[in-house]
Amino acid sequence: MKFVPRALIAEVTHRCPLHCVYCSNPLDMRSRAEELSTEEWQRVFGEAAALGVLQLHLTGGEPLARPDTAHLVKAGRDAGLYVNLITSGIRLAEDRLEGLVEAGLDHVQLSFQDSDQVEADEIAGTRAHAIKLELARRIRKHAIAFTMNLVVHRRNLARLPQMIAIAEELQVDKLEVANVQYYGWAFKNRKQLLPTREQLQETIAVVDAARERLKGRMRIDCVLPDYYARFPKACMSGWGQGLMLIDPAGVVLPCHAARVIPGLSFDNVQSKPLRWIWEESPAFQRFRGDEWMQEPCRSCERKSRDYGGCRCQAFLYTGDPDATDPVCSLAPGRKLIDAVIASTAATDSEGNEPRLLYRINPAHGGKRDPFV
Amino acid sequence: MAAARRFPPRSGLSEVPLIEPTLDKIPRLAPGCRMTQSAELGSVLLMPESMLRLSGPGPRIVELCDGERAVAEVIAMLQSEFSDTEPEVISREVLAFLCSLQERRALNLE
Repeated sequence: MKFVPRALIAEVTHRCPLHCVYCSNPLDMRSRAEELSTEEWQRVFGEAAALGVLQLHLTGGEPLARPDTAHLVKAGRDAGLYVNLITSGIRLAEDRLEGLVEAGLDHVQLSFQDSDQVEADEIAGTRAHAIKLELARRIRKHAIAFTMNLVVHRRNLARLPQMIAIAEELQVDKLEVANVQYYGWAFKNRKQLLPTREQLQETIAVVDAARERLKGRMRIDCVLPDYYARFPKACMSGWGQGLMLIDPAGVVLPCHAARVIPGLSFDNVQSKPLRWIWEESPAFQRFRGDEWMQEPCRSCERKSRDYGGCRCQAFLYTGDPDATDPVCSLAPGRKLIDAVIASTAATDSEGNEPRLLYRINPAHGGKRDPFV
Repeated sequence: MAAARRFPPRSGLSEVPLIEPTLDKIPRLAPGCRMTQSAELGSVLLMPESMLRLSGPGPRIVELCDGERAVAEVIAMLQSEFSDTEPEVISREVLAFLCSLQERRALNLE
């Protein structure tokens, strides 16, 4: 069977002025010295378009940490791709924003950490909230699509109605209520961030009411944490089936987290054509189809819908990347997820919750990232 | 990718968007929404983090939503281009299609 990639997530840098405790970047981030050049990205965007990719997501880290963001936007458009910029918005002055729009930017996705400034800055590990609000008002004046991404978890879900009110005031086209996905830094902080079942039920009610009220004005997408699901998510719509990610150093991955899986060798666009990596490299072939599956997946009628769930999550919990995703109610590993849920909001003898671990790039000696 | 739903049925009052594509409104694709051609998929409407494969008269309707013509003119042009189809059918389908685009926030009506 032939798989065609439709979207490319380009992590153009791991540098970031924020230190969000749920960052999806790997723990061992790339350094500035390893980053691909403008010309290398430009070539890669062309190779991606030739493979069938239609949408390019420029992300990081903070993609604006590179001085060539407008060049990357233009390179994406020149290759025929739809270009989305996923940003924290820090240091996006008006002339730079205008340059991005002129370069052909189609869509900006700006994340918010909370409706409460103190709480938001606490999660980001820096004072970013007020800057984002100011930027959001400026973005709205340009002829591009604007999505607000609300990252939600146990500590901020009580304020979801207030967060939606901000989206309404800012007149965003699309709102994503995105529960933290527990990989990367978020996996480290999962006991501090995982919502309770009651919070999720309330979330669904709040989102449904907002969808009804804002119909035709704002589109609202909602992502729930799979830890509470009965069956696993069809992670990435299947390993290597429709989406690829390229990290700052040029390594091509089927998802954000795949480097955690041991024994897989991921190829680099500096040494191999993207088409070969997608179509033939052993790492991309590894979990295509169902030959690799164990029971209960192998004989399960859901396998063509959820592909056995997430390979990274299977490895993180069971140590076996071929195992059934442990969130599945049929998986032997389900008890491991239930144990995490049971320990949610656990406190020590003095009533304190475990401390949050902040995202700091070890490649930069644990110091603040060199920025622009 | 969402499968193309050419002319989705309306299922009651709750499906009616805030702005009806009435005949005097002028439709235009929303910022950040544009049509492209894909070798394997044909005409595709690209939107923020989603895409819609257009089929049948879909690409032609989108093309006519240029911010110049009113809905009535879009319908009239299609009725003359597809003269072997009942004018009523075309009118109904165009309105339903514009309605579905508007609900996805892919279309502005001025």
